[in-house]
Amino acid sequence: MKKFISALLCVSSFSFASMIGLDALGQEQIMGGSAAMAGRGFAGNAKTGDAEGVSVVNPARQAFDTKVSFNLNFLFDVSTADRSNSHFTKTNVTMPSMNLTFPLNDFGSLGFSLWQHYSASMREDIHDVEEMWDAEIEYQSSVYELVPTYAIRLPFYRAVSLGASAHFVMGSFSRNLTLGPDNSAIAKEDAWATNSSEVSDYVSGDWNIKNHAAYYTFAAQYRGRMASYFFSFTTPYTLKNELEYNLRFSELDTLAPNRKTRTIKVPAMLATGVSYRLDKRHHVMADVAWRAWDRDIENVAGSWSMSQVTKTQNDFNISVGYQRNGSDVFYDSYWDRIAYRAGLWYKSWYVKDVSEIGGSIGAGFPLGRKGMNLDLAIQGGVRLTDDDRNWSESFIGIRLGLVGVGNWGKTRGQ
Amino acid sequence: MNKKKFILFPLLAFVLSSCLFDTDDDGLSNWLSDQGMPSSYKVQTVTVGDLKPVSAEVYRDTLPDQAMVRGLFGSVPGSSYDAVLDYRLDKFLDTLNKADSVKSYLHLRLLDSYYGADYVPSGLFPIEEELKVHVSWIVSEKLSVAEYNDLDNVTDSVWFHELESWTPKHSADTTITVSLNRSTNKNGGIVADSLLTIDMPKELVDEIHKSDGYRRLQIRLSAPEASHVFRFYGGAYTLYYPQLMMVAMGKKDYAKSFAPIREATIYSNREECSDCLVLHGGGRDSLVVEFPSKPIMKALSDFYGDNFPYVEGDSNDVRQAVVMAVLTFFKDDSKGSQEMNMPIFVNVASYLDSADTSVRSTERYRVNTLRVDSLGHPNVVFYKGDSLSLQVTAGLRDFINRASDGRTFKMSMSLGNSLILDKDTLMYDRTVSKADSIRLANGDLIKVASGDTLQVLFSDVDYARYDFSTIKSKPATLKLWLASKRGEE
Repeated sequence: MKKFISALLCVSSFSFASMIGLDALGQEQIMGGSAAMAGRGFAGNAKTGDAEGVSVVNPARQAFDTKVSFNLNFLFDVSTADRSNSHFTKTNVTMPSMNLTFPLNDFGSLGFSLWQHYSASMREDIHDVEEMWDAEIEYQSSVYELVPTYAIRLPFYRAVSLGASAHFVMGSFSRNLTLGPDNSAIAKEDAWATNSSEVSDYVSGDWNIKNHAAYYTFAAQYRGRMASYFFSFTTPYTLKNELEYNLRFSELDTLAPNRKTRTIKVPAMLATGVSYRLDKRHHVMADVAWRAWDRDIENVAGSWSMSQVTKTQNDFNISVGYQRNGSDVFYDSYWDRIAYRAGLWYKSWYVKDVSEIGGSIGAGFPLGRKGMNLDLAIQGGVRLTDDDRNWSESFIGIRLGLVGVGNWGKTRGQ
Repeated sequence: MNKKKFILFPLLAFVLSSCLFDTDDDGLSNWLSDQGMPSSYKVQTVTVGDLKPVSAEVYRDTLPDQAMVRGLFGSVPGSSYDAVLDYRLDKFLDTLNKADSVKSYLHLRLLDSYYGADYVPSGLFPIEEELKVHVSWIVSEKLSVAEYNDLDNVTDSVWFHELESWTPKHSADTTITVSLNRSTNKNGGIVADSLLTIDMPKELVDEIHKSDGYRRLQIRLSAPEASHVFRFYGGAYTLYYPQLMMVAMGKKDYAKSFAPIREATIYSNREECSDCLVLHGGGRDSLVVEFPSKPIMKALSDFYGDNFPYVEGDSNDVRQAVVMAVLTFFKDDSKGSQEMNMPIFVNVASYLDSADTSVRSTERYRVNTLRVDSLGHPNVVFYKGDSLSLQVTAGLRDFINRASDGRTFKMSMSLGNSLILDKDTLMYDRTVSKADSIRLANGDLIKVASGDTLQVLFSDVDYARYDFSTIKSKPATLKLWLASKRGEE
């Protein structure tokens, strides 16, 4: 199963676009990365609804769901890195998450999420005759999580629910730097020996959690008539990345690899959020998630002149959003049945001196008579950096989410 | 329609905005250098001088060899080759038994691909020789029909094992006159008198005359005093196979030709000096040389300032990789001898780890075009110069990668093919596009017409003898081209 899902993700995703933190963990796909959440600036984990579905930050929310829902998300993204007069752009396609919830009425609610939590991706060829650049750079890393969730409303106080989720971490890392020779340090008559000798610095390995099967999130949610709140705690964990370093002349002609394991201590995360109903169908919401990194992250590097560590900082995410729910009356006008969303977020990355400001607008289009929805979000923003290695980035992207809502297992009157 | 527009507009906006995000020419390379990422690997050379082997030993493969395609017999300095032919004699023996007298002789047809080759050196001919052939044979007891048929099923390996203890009851000498000359016409070289007819000794003929029923006859031909090795068509050729003729003579003569059911070549080493590192051509000998780890590790430590061998983690060293390794020996051609007067390649193999076992792997030869163009190939013997440079890239790559287990560097050498075009850099046979005169490695000048095939290596082997004993006394030099991952941070 693990392998199957790994293969599925490898095929389906090229991962996110940021070029920051490639050698550390890569970019974090916050709040599960669903298109609906992205449309309102990644705010609204406290917002309950018929089929809001799984929240990886607030597993307690789904206890208020009344319908089975399935949700599949895609992201198309263009990102430009720039520093002084230099810039370059790359585009990506990814599938950040898929979610499934099964409300069981009095027995609570079961959910399941497949979430690409961190990922780094890059594939570029450089051939510059003048500068003697001749290289292929390929990064492919994804830390993804299988997240089963369970939530239940308190039997004596139905406005409050408790939820928990386990995050089973898996994934793979590979980096392949294929390089041509630089003969500048040897005598001219010795250059024949390296003609068309390409060498690949190849690093590959798996991600998992050290000493544990999973890490966990616990959450409590209150749903009021106007306001809803949640609070969640995610346990700290140590990510383990078992790597094999190799130099390859071809896939069949390699050295015996050197094995090395790097460990990354990911701190506990606290998250909270509020959702407030202004008027019929109009909601405003705000979320905060916070994590205190106290150790540097050991990089993949493996020499050249690459940095051995990525310095960290307190990582937090503040987001505010608005949503006008679409009408669920099928004979209302189509415009009225659309959900409209907008939001803003500020994120301080785990990478020192990197922050992100973003904004988004989104809409949820009902497809067909009932049960199917297409969420669309357009997002854009900047990642600001303050060091030599990391360049500032601006990004723009489209997220698409397919949502299916059904009444499975329900009898008339329930 | 409306719904479609909702999706189309943002997509259009997305496409348009991606046009605004453009990449400048050196944006990516600037980004890479800021990350400390390499754009190429730095090549560095390290030379390790004064390398003396810890051991050097010659291994000879003297097991019988299959010869159904190409048979051999004769000798050259230091080695000899015997041909063994296995015949199945049928009921014709009864006819022979009843005959007044019997005559028998063996036809061996010399191989056109060698003696008639375009590039065979002019100096090889004429071959005029009074050849003393020693014939030994084993005639079996009378066989049942089943046993006779079963002879077909004897595998080569079983037969070769029997041949290692060849104990014939009888043997006799016979003499043939070999006179080979060569003329050329428009179709290429033609060898006159390329059919060797060896009369079977009287003792053998008499034994056959007395025999009846079904029998098996194994004949071994040796010519240890010969000055050449003769190559002939094997039993696999339906027209040119070694024909054993039996003639029953009486009122009326009856003749029958027999084809061998299997054939072998037996190689014998006749070197007198047991300490000498002498290799014979033909691919049956190899010289295994082992070099110590210490001087190579020390040279690398001195060069990089790092510890060698590498002992961190699981001790596999991936800090650098060998892109090319050349080991240069002193060479002295004067103690060698050869048939064709052409340079001979020295084939190299190294012992590498593969799946936790050591395997012998042939080293790839990379041509240094500029050198070959002016000085010829560096890895040949019987050629000008006093050094022999052999490429041992894969071997050194593996050795440095795993040197922490205290291993030595082990390689093997053997004599390979003769080189027809000594300054050819392409190393493959090809068609000539216009008529030309070409100077061969042995000094011959030949004319080629448009459409002819230009051959770089000679297709047959030279049964040469080469003495590598200087490897033990004169030190070798190793030159390494290394790709290193070492950086500033």
